[in-house]
Amino acid sequence: MIETHNLTKTFDKFTAVENLSLTVNAGEIFAFLGPNGAGKTTTMRMLACLIAPTGGEATVAGLHVGRDDDQIRARIGILTEAPGLYEKLNAVQNLDFFARLYGLDADTRAKQIERYLQILGLGERQKEPVGNFSKGMKQKLSIARALLHEPQVVFFDEPTSALDPESAKVVRDFIAELKSEGRTIFLCTHNLDEADRLADRVGVFKQHLIQVDTPENLRRKLYGQRVLFRVREITEAQANALNALAFARDVQRNGSTFSIALDAPDEMTPLVVNALVNAGAAILEVRQERASLEEVYLDLVGRSGGQTVG
Amino acid sequence: MLNFSRVMAVLRREVQEIVKSRGLLLAIFLPPLLITILPLIGVAFLGNAMNADPDASRTARDLGPFLQTMPELQTWTTGEVTMFIILQQFLTFFLLMPLIIPMSIAAQSIVGEKQTKSLEPLLATPIKTGELLFAKAVAAVLPAVLATWAAFVIFFSVGRLLISSDRVYWTLLNPKWLVAMLILAPLLSLLSVSIAVIISSRVNDTRAVQQIGGFIVMPIVILGVAQTTGLILLNATSFLLGALVIAALDALILRFGVRLFQREKILTQWK
Repeated sequence: MIETHNLTKTFDKFTAVENLSLTVNAGEIFAFLGPNGAGKTTTMRMLACLIAPTGGEATVAGLHVGRDDDQIRARIGILTEAPGLYEKLNAVQNLDFFARLYGLDADTRAKQIERYLQILGLGERQKEPVGNFSKGMKQKLSIARALLHEPQVVFFDEPTSALDPESAKVVRDFIAELKSEGRTIFLCTHNLDEADRLADRVGVFKQHLIQVDTPENLRRKLYGQRVLFRVREITEAQANALNALAFARDVQRNGSTFSIALDAPDEMTPLVVNALVNAGAAILEVRQERASLEEVYLDLVGRSGGQTVG
Repeated sequence: MLNFSRVMAVLRREVQEIVKSRGLLLAIFLPPLLITILPLIGVAFLGNAMNADPDASRTARDLGPFLQTMPELQTWTTGEVTMFIILQQFLTFFLLMPLIIPMSIAAQSIVGEKQTKSLEPLLATPIKTGELLFAKAVAAVLPAVLATWAAFVIFFSVGRLLISSDRVYWTLLNPKWLVAMLILAPLLSLLSVSIAVIISSRVNDTRAVQQIGGFIVMPIVILGVAQTTGLILLNATSFLLGALVIAALDALILRFGVRLFQREKILTQWK
């Protein structure tokens, strides 16, 4: 649904995005992760045909960025970082304006506005000036604005930033629902928990793409799969027994716990348990260790060098 | 090619916002109101004073340089000439309205969108920047020109009742003012909008736009003063020449404004 090949954006002498090549599949949520100034918003703006790439190519919904910009803009929805609403107008007037720009006829406009105001829980306050709305309500309204014309590709730039936990959950649930409708979602965020919960795949980005994969595969690639074995008391005999197992890599001791990297945990875990029991261990707990996406992200961004500006 | 329904959508939204902005409504209605009402009140008092003056029939030969530019007024009374000078001065101020009003509307429209950050979602729709700029220009020019014309019509309608001298009234109602209203006023409005677009791209405060843009009223004020002091006489030809100059300036400045009003420049270069 979205494809880029060596996509590059340079502002004077500063390169904001460099040779970005990625594919976002139809119907998936793709989380684009990166520190502030990494070029996430610049990338999104290029894909939404708001600014022109200085190099490379991109297609969105089969249309070429730079050649079919008007058609792309008509087929995508975008939630910008700031809600950008007309505060003196009410919710209906705000949505009606955008629905007209997308060329919806009067019946469709009325139906779509009513539909999204109800779905997002804004129906009761639809006639109030938007200036009176809370941040969460404004964010919901700008999501409705992005969806009025039923786009197949939706770009979200930090959709839950500055929202209270309750509003953030409503927005996250709504994004998940959009995926279930088969839409492709490009999610720019540095909320790693959000990306972990929602995304099918994540791309870690800082000027250039560092890694792309599912959150689970990224964990596996970086940390392998580790299993924790908590025993009543660690002894040297137990440690020696583990060291004797050729498949048990990187055995770490921490208090009463062994943490061991295993390539095939399902097959190898019983063998480790057996070795520990034979060495006299009283095993209290066995569980798979799971790095957070935050650890993976910090590791990847850290390895790629210092902070960039842009 | 402009898409009419998108232009109308922007126009409609601009009008909705103007109607809800008290400050802007004041900026649209106050100048015409003052420029129309003040001279008429003055004339009403002057008419009474003239009637009470025992030397009302004294002619105005010694009024100096002003009469050199309009020798036909030498047979008028001093009261009539004074009334004429005052009213003509105010008529020149009618040309300030198409400069002041669009500046306020365009500044509010563009800087307002910058402040609320509504330009990015707007530019992400299929609207073309030309359509957006055109709609914003029309939304600023139309109220200004209509307000100017309405004030002009009211001035001469009410003036018919209050201006006690027929020859003052009919000399004021000169075809040159029709040229000024019908040709010069819309061109001045467009100039004002173009300048507002350029300034708005650099500042984030509507007052700053109005302060920086305020200089464009200076040539009109200078012309008015020069005419009152008898240095020059504005006639239909000078208004037509002025219109040609303003049209050329419009073309030049609007072109520059259109270049600035591009998606990428708005999102990455506007302050």
